[in-house]
Amino acid sequence: MPWRLETPRVLVVDLDGSKTSAVRAQTGSMVAYEGDVQFKNAGMGGGGGLRAAFKQRVTGESLSLMEVTGRGTVHLAVDAGYVLVLDLAGDVLKAESEGLLCLANSLTTDVTFTGLQGASSGQGLFTTTVTGHGQAALISLGGPPIALRVTPQTPLVVDPDAYIGCVGNLNQSFVTDVSWRNLVGESSGEAFSLRFEGQGIVYIQPEER
Amino acid sequence: MGFTKVTPKVVLAEVRPGQEVLARRGAMLASSGEIAFSPVVGGPGGGAYGGGIAASLARGMQGEAVPLMVAEGNGSVHYGFRGHHVTVIDLDGSHPMSVEADRLLAHDANMSSSVVFLGQQGGLRGAVRGAVTGQGLFTTQLSGRGSVAVLSHGGTFALRVGGSQQIVVDPQAYVAHVGNLRLDVATALSWRDAVGRGSGEGVQLKVSGEGTVYVQASEEKL
Repeated sequence: MPWRLETPRVLVVDLDGSKTSAVRAQTGSMVAYEGDVQFKNAGMGGGGGLRAAFKQRVTGESLSLMEVTGRGTVHLAVDAGYVLVLDLAGDVLKAESEGLLCLANSLTTDVTFTGLQGASSGQGLFTTTVTGHGQAALISLGGPPIALRVTPQTPLVVDPDAYIGCVGNLNQSFVTDVSWRNLVGESSGEAFSLRFEGQGIVYIQPEER
Repeated sequence: MGFTKVTPKVVLAEVRPGQEVLARRGAMLASSGEIAFSPVVGGPGGGAYGGGIAASLARGMQGEAVPLMVAEGNGSVHYGFRGHHVTVIDLDGSHPMSVEADRLLAHDANMSSSVVFLGQQGGLRGAVRGAVTGQGLFTTQLSGRGSVAVLSHGGTFALRVGGSQQIVVDPQAYVAHVGNLRLDVATALSWRDAVGRGSGEGVQLKVSGEGTVYVQASEEKL
């Protein structure tokens, strides 16, 4: 059953009791529900299996999800952020774990190494990868999300604090622009940025974390 | 009469003689015409504007009353508070409305307001509910015909209660309700919560009866 938005900030998921309609949502994101619905912590790894759980423990990428099952209608929202619903058809979605609102049960999650850049960008060294066929919802704080297209001819540079996720075949690299100006306190405030190359779409939010 | 939305976060109220507006103190953004603002003595729900002494006493007991002011005269006033979203709810007088005191931005002064001690509705469980939800033990109940402006983080959506399906709301996302509704705290705590692996939805407000409940898109308190 397709998900819908009650307001731009509230995601509504219908559950018909079947396993395919069940979802995994960010822990604590339920604001209201109708019917007979159960919430259960998805366990370590956010239901991504033992390997993902182990990687999370080691990496500190804390994907905290709960399994939502039963029969009814669930309303999900986080910090009044705008909801972005994506239909994945075998695409790869990479996202920051705190930006994930809801995932269809048919999707699998894993933790991947994004390179050393994470350490200084504060985005974590690792990112959550979502693969499979189904719907996924992300949260965009501060306003509606902005989708930016990346093609081999037009690479993209974004602020790590505004980055929420990307879909497609993208290579992520870290750009530093630290010069003597930073040392004397005259920096532009944009010393670190994320560079995307390849083919795909990058989503950013209007608010910097 | 009533409130007109200027932006999602600002409402405009028309004030006429005999049509005063009560609002949270300090929420006035701009006013035009001949408007006089004066504090409501005895706390909200007290003084000349409904409620009476019992209500102001109850407020006094609460200790953290939100101070109100009354706008009188002839003109219009813009109201807003800390950039929060405003929801305007019109009441036809047939059903009372309950709203958490902190979230009440403004309402028509000719509506009668009273402070409801939640414990009265549900005995000890009601008191526990107030404590658990962090809403204090008092909510403001408004009855009569008129318009009410309510604050929320990120705007509200309305859920109809009264169908076959049971409605459950996160206590932190609850904003207000209209109608004859009963709110009960339900705990769905299990051993998982005790070991820190809970779903984060351990405490829930079960809503039963006939009416509408307003929920915000966030778990942030005002």
